[in-house]
Parts: sequence; structure tokens; C-alpha cells
Amino acid sequence: MFVISNYKKLDLVWFALMTMTLASAFIAESAEPGLLVTMAIAATVMVKGRLVINRFMELHNAHAYVRFSMNFYFYVLPILILVVYLFPEFIADLTRMSG
Amino acid sequence: MIDAGLNTNKWVAADSADKPLDRLPKAGRIPGNGAVWVGIYAEMTEFALMFIICFAAKVHYPAAFSEGPSQLNISAGILNTLALLTSSYFVAKAVGCVRMNQINKAVHWLWGTIAAAVFYLLVKAWEYQWNTEQGIEVDTNMFFTVYYYMTFNHFLHVAWGGGAILWAIFRLKRGAYTPDSHEGLEAIASYWHMIDLIWIIIFPLLYVLR
Repeated sequence: MFVISNYKKLDLVWFALMTMTLASAFIAESAEPGLLVTMAIAATVMVKGRLVINRFMELHNAHAYVRFSMNFYFYVLPILILVVYLFPEFIADLTRMSG
Repeated sequence: MIDAGLNTNKWVAADSADKPLDRLPKAGRIPGNGAVWVGIYAEMTEFALMFIICFAAKVHYPAAFSEGPSQLNISAGILNTLALLTSSYFVAKAVGCVRMNQINKAVHWLWGTIAAAVFYLLVKAWEYQWNTEQGIEVDTNMFFTVYYYMTFNHFLHVAWGGGAILWAIFRLKRGAYTPDSHEGLEAIASYWHMIDLIWIIIFPLLYVLR
């Protein structure tokens, strides 16, 4: 069976990251802002972050706490991007200083 | 052929005797050392606070955040992103080369990282200059205040992270890192990847999402 070495896999990861960056910039430039665009951007952040964490940082077989915490960051941030888009007034109320 | 004796060291998984020499280290380890991860978590927390401030500012100043990204130089943002992702790729390649005992090649990859980092810093400096020419200042509106606070902070991290990469090159040339022992290089690599990760979030928050 043909097996790609981990060293060579890095080339594919780099190519995927470049492609996703250009695609998200293209979407942002050409499409009107909306839920679908926001979801696509949030998903791109998650996938790019996880690729760097698991492949470049090599956390995909590292200690579970380190792996989980880093990946968790890249679940929470994309979700926050969506929450801010969907419920801006609610977030504004939460963060408004009284008086 | 892989020397079966390699299996006694901490970098090699027990079942990897039949796998390529550039296999991953043992499962369950912490890359680098514990100390660098304290630093990485501290930095990630600091930037998390900035992201939260960015989100809060966005909902309170929706007009500024809606128009802000289109007033920025998107080409500079894209070039910065491509440069940082590529720099991270170079670092990962360098670590792989050290594991295969290709020290000179690893040094070349790390010089590639330095080149990408310098490119990033130059593009950012040019972008700030371009902003000034467009009449954009730190206090133009809340979007640009957040933009300058976040991107200049990140700019500093790239600069001193580049210093750490230079240190890794110096140590590599001195023979400090071997296939069996290169925790220091892994620690610096992990820190550099963290800088890249932060930019992966900053780019859409400031340049893309309107």
C-alpha cells in the first residue's frame, strides 16, 4: 500500500491552508455578507486552526489535555463568530455598562 | 533501514520500526516542554480577551465594523496570512528534518521561516503606512482602535518569535539538537505555530467578516 510519510503530508496540509485562505478571501470579496458566508468563514477558521494544531504542532497524538484544550479553542471561536452574527443585540445587552 | 535500537528513545512510537524514519514521536507526549505550554496558554488567553473585546465592540459599533474591513488593504491581509501559514509549514519541515538527522536541511527550512517572518513584518509596516495615507488612524473609530491594538500586538509577537527562530538556527548549527533530543526546537516550533494560530483568527475577524 502506498503510504505518504508524515514529512510529505505537511506539503498537502500547506496546500490546503493556502487554498482555504484564498477561497475565504474570495468569498468575502465577492459575496454579500450573510449567514451562509459567516458560516463558511467560521468553518474555515475551525478547519485551518485544527490543521495547524494537529499537523504542524503535531498534537493529534500528543497528550490528551494539550490536544483537547487547543482544539477546544478552535471550536469555541467559530461558534462565537456565529453567535455574534446571529444575536448582536443580546451580546450588546450582556456587555452594556449600566448607568 | 531503521535501526531497531531507535525504538528505545522517547521520540519514536513503539510500533514504528516498519514506518518511515520521519514518523511522529510517541503518543501522549507534550511537544517541547511544560514551560513553553504555560507561555502558549498565557498568550492564547491574552488574545482570547482581545477577541472578546473585538466581539463586544462589534455589537456596540456595528456600522464601524461593517465598513471597517472594506477600508483595509485586503491584499496586505491575504499576503500576511499566506506568509505566516508558510512560515509555520517551514518550521514543521525543519522539525521533521531534525528527526531524520538532516540538520543542514533543517537550518535551511528555518531560514525560510525567517524570510517569511520578515516578509510579514514588511507587509504589515507597508499596510500601516498605506492606512495613514488613506487617513486611517488609531482613533478614527472603534474598529480601527481594535484593529491597531490587535494587529500591532501580534506584530510584536512575530518579531520576537523570529528572534526565537534565530536562536534555534544558532543552536542547530552548534549541534545542540539531535534526532533523539530536540525538545528546545519543539518548544520554539510550538510557540511559532501559536503565533500563526492567532493570525488565523485575526484575519477573518478584521479583514473578512463585515
